[in-house]
Amino acid sequence: MAEKTSPYGFRYIGAKRRTKEDPRFVTGRGRYAADIQLPGMLHVAIVASPYPSARIRSIESAEALALPGVRYVLAGAELCAAVDALYVGVDAPKVKRYPLADGLVRYAGEWVVAVVAETRAIAEDAVELIEVDYEPLPHLVDPEEAAKPGAVLVHPEHGTNVLYHRKFVWGAVDEAFEKADHRLAFRARWGRSATVPIETFVAVAQWDAGNEILDIWASIQMPKFPDQLARALRLTGNSVRVHFDVDVGGSYGVKRGMKHTLLVSYLAMKLRAPVRFLEDRLENMRGGDMHGPDRIFDMQVAFDHDGIIRAWKIKALDDVGAYAGRSPLQLGKPVSAICGPYRIPAVEYEPTSVMTHKTPQEAVRGFGQSPTNFAMECTIDRVARHLGMDRLELRRKNLIRKEEFPYRIPSGTTYDSGDYHTVLDKALKAADYEGLVRRRDEARRAGRLAGIGVSTCLEPSGGNSSFEPLFNPKNETTTWMDSCLVRVDLNGAVTGVFGTSSSGQGHQTLVSTVVGEVLERDPSGIRVIAADSLNALPSNSPVGSRMAIMLGGAAAGAARKIRDTLLKIGAHNLGLPLSGVTYRDGDVFDTLHPEKRMTWDQLVEVAHRKFHKMPPDIEPGLQAKFVWEVPTGGTLPTEDGQVQMYPCYSFETHVVYVEIDPDTGKPVLQRYVVGHDCGVMINPDIVHGMTYGGVAHGVGAALYEKFAFSEEGQLLSGTFMDYLIPSALEVPEISIVDHCTPSPLTTFGQKGSGEAGYLGGPAAIACAINDALDPIGTAIAETPMSHLALWSLIRAARAKPKMKDAA
Amino acid sequence: MKAAIFEYARAESIAQACSLLAEHGADAKLLAGGQSLVPMMAMRLARPAWLINVNEIAELKSSRRDGAVWVTGAGLRQVDVERDGELARAVPLIRQGLYWVGHIQTKNRGTVGGSLVHADPSAELPLVAQALGASFVLRRNGSERTVAAADFFQAPMVTATEPDECLAEVRWPVWQGERVGSAFDELSIRHGDYAIVAACAQVEVDSAGRCVRAVLGIGGAASVPVSAEAIARSLHGTQLDDTTIEAAVESIGQYLDPGSDVHATAEYRVHLARVLAARVLRRARDHAAGMARGTRA
Repeated sequence: MAEKTSPYGFRYIGAKRRTKEDPRFVTGRGRYAADIQLPGMLHVAIVASPYPSARIRSIESAEALALPGVRYVLAGAELCAAVDALYVGVDAPKVKRYPLADGLVRYAGEWVVAVVAETRAIAEDAVELIEVDYEPLPHLVDPEEAAKPGAVLVHPEHGTNVLYHRKFVWGAVDEAFEKADHRLAFRARWGRSATVPIETFVAVAQWDAGNEILDIWASIQMPKFPDQLARALRLTGNSVRVHFDVDVGGSYGVKRGMKHTLLVSYLAMKLRAPVRFLEDRLENMRGGDMHGPDRIFDMQVAFDHDGIIRAWKIKALDDVGAYAGRSPLQLGKPVSAICGPYRIPAVEYEPTSVMTHKTPQEAVRGFGQSPTNFAMECTIDRVARHLGMDRLELRRKNLIRKEEFPYRIPSGTTYDSGDYHTVLDKALKAADYEGLVRRRDEARRAGRLAGIGVSTCLEPSGGNSSFEPLFNPKNETTTWMDSCLVRVDLNGAVTGVFGTSSSGQGHQTLVSTVVGEVLERDPSGIRVIAADSLNALPSNSPVGSRMAIMLGGAAAGAARKIRDTLLKIGAHNLGLPLSGVTYRDGDVFDTLHPEKRMTWDQLVEVAHRKFHKMPPDIEPGLQAKFVWEVPTGGTLPTEDGQVQMYPCYSFETHVVYVEIDPDTGKPVLQRYVVGHDCGVMINPDIVHGMTYGGVAHGVGAALYEKFAFSEEGQLLSGTFMDYLIPSALEVPEISIVDHCTPSPLTTFGQKGSGEAGYLGGPAAIACAINDALDPIGTAIAETPMSHLALWSLIRAARAKPKMKDAA
Repeated sequence: MKAAIFEYARAESIAQACSLLAEHGADAKLLAGGQSLVPMMAMRLARPAWLINVNEIAELKSSRRDGAVWVTGAGLRQVDVERDGELARAVPLIRQGLYWVGHIQTKNRGTVGGSLVHADPSAELPLVAQALGASFVLRRNGSERTVAAADFFQAPMVTATEPDECLAEVRWPVWQGERVGSAFDELSIRHGDYAIVAACAQVEVDSAGRCVRAVLGIGGAASVPVSAEAIARSLHGTQLDDTTIEAAVESIGQYLDPGSDVHATAEYRVHLARVLAARVLRRARDHAAGMARGTRA
């Protein structure tokens, strides 16, 4: 095993070390929620609505119930009376969502009836025997229509389809637009895509009647999951025990699963038997409520002859589908980086969240930041084109400079640190930018469409959820803490305990590395486990690129407490003041006479067995907890909507070379380089792995993936035949160049990076495609940039009389 | 995604498969590689009452030259056919088409006969069979008949195979000339997807480079793969220069009746057919010239 030393001067942090998790995954020893096999477990299949909007007249289930092996048929009327509605992220209490529709269905694929049987196959047989009589009602698929007064209402009780709307003005925007030499406006559109993990959603529930505890194993990445579930079930919080020790087979945001888990929980309690629901791919893509942002951006920008951007206005209309969970808040995160990495002094932002009769939206990697970065980077390239200025020169002029950090942006957030110019230069060098330009120009001379795209984007990290109070005045959330418990047993082994699920972020590697660093003990011997929710310290789950910062900080804090205790025990037993002893490799010794020492084993023995040798006021045993608040957290937004959102800002720049076959519209990415600065990397392999995955995800969003709906409200891409995820053959070889600007706010200088690659990828690919299209005088600002869309543009451009783009 | 209930039998011989088919007829389906049938059953789009596994039938796995034809057993795995060097020299379009079929993993299971009988209008092997004019040997209890490709492919997922018939072998014409070239190309959004449009061509030229024989096929743009015979014939006697090819394929639309979907409009498909037809003809020509010079594609 190659074990290179840390580039940062740490002992373990940053060193190339094998991860804790990978051996079990690559040897097939992961343990997922679907691996939980309980005696007598029952299985669920779903009857889904074929209509995007309809009234349920009647449900006939006698024939299904008569099928041998069928145990129960549950419809919305029963369930909705017995449980409370699911949480809504904005102030829209009448937008009620339950696992099963009751009365009205609001999208094609919405769950109407749940069938419980001894096997999933029998449940599916029974589904075919259930007859639901629907009265079709008018439906909406166009978000702009939906936002208009008088539109058909998805939730009549709510009175409008708009879930959230506000116009934020930070700084002298109108004045800047008035005084600027130039103004530009255009529309960009981000198509509805998502993340589609290999593992669909799965939830298993079992009612422990003896202890009166509901046990849950679920494939989740969801803050406040146990609390929300207990509340919806009308149980006390301590009646629900969520087992966080199951592996999650990918999430990237979407594994929320409240409705799935609420459904099996109710059934398990009702039937007094363990119940599992394992979505199949069809259920997952149509009714799993996991589609991502679906946005129309109206962008306006004001700038001067010299390329200095004075202000921009961003109008974002987001189609969240038929219900609202946390999805409207995905318009909130971009507030934290609303001017991107640029020195833009005045910004207007007008987000609108609107409902239509489509599958509901869920959180997707970056929580709305990648679409915004895409729109912003398209803007930057258009400004350069308008001025005839080099796109890199324009970026260099507007990027915040290293010496300006910490840098406060108009929306009230302070960026912690960065060196954007250097990261950009490193990436360009690694890509041999001049060589790429020559290659592009040669290709163009040979009649091919070739382009280079460069994006410079931010990744806000360390999520503190302050978009919640910003978007909902009734919500006063100002902490989004995370925790860790570190324990040293009688035999001297170290265990770290965290209290949330892990969907591939490598919590075990993270905690063991950090604890090893602080205690100066080899991380390979440190065990890390996930507590269940009744044993767990408070945690807010691995969302918002937060675990390196938050769990890393908490683990370090707990380990430091252990080290402090060991120092006290050592000093006490060596008869020295604390200032006279040193801690090294787990031993404590007299600083002046290192041979006078207590070893790790001796110190541990004292803590566990020899109370008579303990210093006063120290608890016996050897364990410590640490609960950490998000750095810079703790304040509510101001009246005008200024707020410190995320503490740390990672930076990424992508350099992409693309060629498009002008006869077919097929784009091929031929070179892909990422320059990345997420501060100190605790485990570089994990960071790089996430970045590779993020780039692949971005390639999918940019070129291939779309949950398309017909005018009739039907999902047209509900299988992998039509929802096209890039394979290894479509994702180019990716080179990553690292840079490290430590964050001054975190324990070791780390920043978050869970969304890396995805946040700058689609933007750069769009810039490359537009560079390729520029010579024929056309442009695209819509994802996915499909073969058909590109061919249509090329054909239309060729049909026009030949001229250079007037802009 | 659990299949509806079905009965299962494993046939040890073609005769046994045929008797089972005779017994269960339209309620039965033969299971070969299962790369299309099994997902369709899982989605309950196919619900055979009987599934007859023909994977273990040795007589379906022969591959041999028989004069001017190459005979492949219907049960041969696509991967084995793709890697058969002798077959690739005799009927190069098969390997050239299989390059585009699915992925290694699907080709390890998928069979030649399964793909042909499934008859997806966008699939590669049906296109090659149609373009080359392959013929299909269908067996039933006590009898056998041979059907030409032109009669075999009838509609999307519909062939001339009767419910009690089993495809036993496919007979691929071998062009025995010195200067024969071929090419296959397609546009799919991702490698391994069904083609939006696919095209293949095979030409033979004389020592002066004149075309003496040509076929051109288009897949994905009509209800069955089509052979553009008039266009191919119009190339006879020409030097197959780029201009001639461009002009010849201009009228490709007459053969096509494409639909529109989320990935491609009918108009886009016709355009692609024209582009790809010209490409494969040019490449086949160059391939033939290369054969004459003794190089192998």
